[in-house]
Amino acid sequence: MKKIALILCLTLALSMITVSAFAKGNQLTCTGSTTVLPVAQATAEAFMDKHPEVNISVRGGGSGVGVAALQNGTADICNSSRPMKAKEITAAKSKGINPTAYFIANDAISIVVHNNNKVKNLSIAQIKKIYTGVIKNWKELGGANLPIVVVSRDVASGTFEVFNEKALSGAKVSETAQLLASNNAVISAVANTPGAIGYVGLGYVTDNVNVVMVNNLMPSDTTVKNGTYPLARKLYMYTNGKAKGDAASFISFIQSAEGQKIVKEQGFITLN
Amino acid sequence: MPMQSKFKMIMGLGLLILPLLANAVETKLSGEFWGRWINETAKKKNAAGNYTDKVVSNYLSLERGYFGLETKFSELTKARFTVDIFTTDKTHEYTAYTLNDSSQVALPVEPATLTASTKTGSLDGAGLKIKYAYVDFGGLVPIPDLTLTTGMQKVYFGTIYDWTYTLIGKAPTDEYKVANSADLGVTLNGYLPQGFGEYAIGAYNGEGYKKVASSLKDNTDFAYLANLRLTPIPGVTLGGSYMSNTVGREKALDGEALNASYEEQQLMDGLLRLAYGPVDVWGEYISKNVKYPNETSASKTKEYTATGLSIILIISLKDFVKTDVQLVGRYDTWDESDRIAGDKSRSKLNAMTFGANYNFLHDESAVPAMQLQLNYTTKSYDEDKSHSDFADGKRDTSQINLQLKWRFANTIK
Repeated sequence: MKKIALILCLTLALSMITVSAFAKGNQLTCTGSTTVLPVAQATAEAFMDKHPEVNISVRGGGSGVGVAALQNGTADICNSSRPMKAKEITAAKSKGINPTAYFIANDAISIVVHNNNKVKNLSIAQIKKIYTGVIKNWKELGGANLPIVVVSRDVASGTFEVFNEKALSGAKVSETAQLLASNNAVISAVANTPGAIGYVGLGYVTDNVNVVMVNNLMPSDTTVKNGTYPLARKLYMYTNGKAKGDAASFISFIQSAEGQKIVKEQGFITLN
Repeated sequence: MPMQSKFKMIMGLGLLILPLLANAVETKLSGEFWGRWINETAKKKNAAGNYTDKVVSNYLSLERGYFGLETKFSELTKARFTVDIFTTDKTHEYTAYTLNDSSQVALPVEPATLTASTKTGSLDGAGLKIKYAYVDFGGLVPIPDLTLTTGMQKVYFGTIYDWTYTLIGKAPTDEYKVANSADLGVTLNGYLPQGFGEYAIGAYNGEGYKKVASSLKDNTDFAYLANLRLTPIPGVTLGGSYMSNTVGREKALDGEALNASYEEQQLMDGLLRLAYGPVDVWGEYISKNVKYPNETSASKTKEYTATGLSIILIISLKDFVKTDVQLVGRYDTWDESDRIAGDKSRSKLNAMTFGANYNFLHDESAVPAMQLQLNYTTKSYDEDKSHSDFADGKRDTSQINLQLKWRFANTIK
């Protein structure tokens, strides 16, 4: 009899653990990339309008913060503007977390300069020289006699990591560069500084700055989708294992025609 | 110049010069401090030769403090420097003299009446040692996610290199002095694609970061290490480590006489970790085989093999009580009974720990800045398979540890 009672107690305890651990009601937490943030926010609002029973909380912090939150089990969805690294996936898997990637949009890291800047095109080699401090004045690039003010994202940002890999080949950013915490801060700094150069996700580009061609290519739907724009990338949402329930519905919504329309409205590039 | 000294000199110079050659992209300051109350009761032998329970320790300590700098020179090159601050570990070696015959007390004492012995102790209120001082070079070899690390660094053996002190006690290989947590060395370490695991190979001095003076090994052999961990499916981790190490000089510097105390160690570790939802279970098997190739006795009586098993259970209650609380438990068995009977280290030990952690003041990634830990540990020795003096005269013990751990990290860009 005692054995049966013990087994029943253990079964009950395990059931409580399982139910409590995996059933979180209709609350979704979505954390990470500041680049993905406007897409996540706008699509979350549209999704919640259609599904008022679901509450989606969207937060930024950067791709690295999102990855850590997924690893620690405090986020249902990790927003990331870069693919997860092998080290991060290993750490997650060893904790029983299985990061599963969903593409939600395409993006082009856009090189932006002040509106008065006459330079219209830069090669990847020139961008690298600017960001590593080799080229210091716009006149070396056919522009005005004006010192270059280098504006970069902080190193925790996924945008920085993709830019560093694709444009700088891992080289160190000049120590004089301003390292800013968000795309908006970069746009603001470049718009207000005549000699400035910066880079942001395409969705953050405004009329207050000029977009520069890279290797004679403008970041656009066509150049990103045909793979010619050198600083193109994908934007991701990661879940623990295959997305289920509300998380699956939300991601499916973003990937649907309706969700992709919002992606486009936010200035990013659709999947198809 | 001996190989080992050259090795140290090259790495030391490298560490000094590198920061001057490269300017940092960012520097991270981090610290971690453990304030602990320890209360230990043990069975101690009384005048009649019987064991009775006595409180043997009851004190507060700054058990550990780590203060570190991490400097990123580029996306591929970074360096780390961490000092270890503590109030309880011994910091110095000194020679102690005792009178050969306690009746001879007249001064001045004749040297012939004194016996010298080497002891260790603390001369200061707190000690300081370099725990890490290394540089990571990524991208040197065209293999993705492979890093060359040089300097005072982690020893990638068993669980010692990623031990996060979820329980207050040390990693099993550290606890039973199988491997050191940090050492001077050169390693290649990396990650398998798709998160399938990690690996490391390397050469170390083989003596750790704490030893001083005569406790430093006096030989020309490096320790060699290989480590592999696989995560074939999420939540299941399998690992294995192998290390060969030596203690002492094989032959005398002058005269080439063989040193009978020269020790060859073969160290092995197997790991299984299962993590599912709130439950995390670790199992670690350790084997230490010690040979004395220059021992002259035919029976090679000093040679021995020690084995151990450690099982750790961590249950997170965060999702049930909406507070970041963990329940922890640990069972260890460590068997060095293969040592010769007179050896003071001969023992067979069973240890159990139960405890709880309360994590609070989390950052935006849900990493807690503070952790309050309470652990209760009992140790019992097999009477027949242990030295009669047990562990420094202490037989079965029970210990309560209450610890507040706090950490911080700030990045200067």
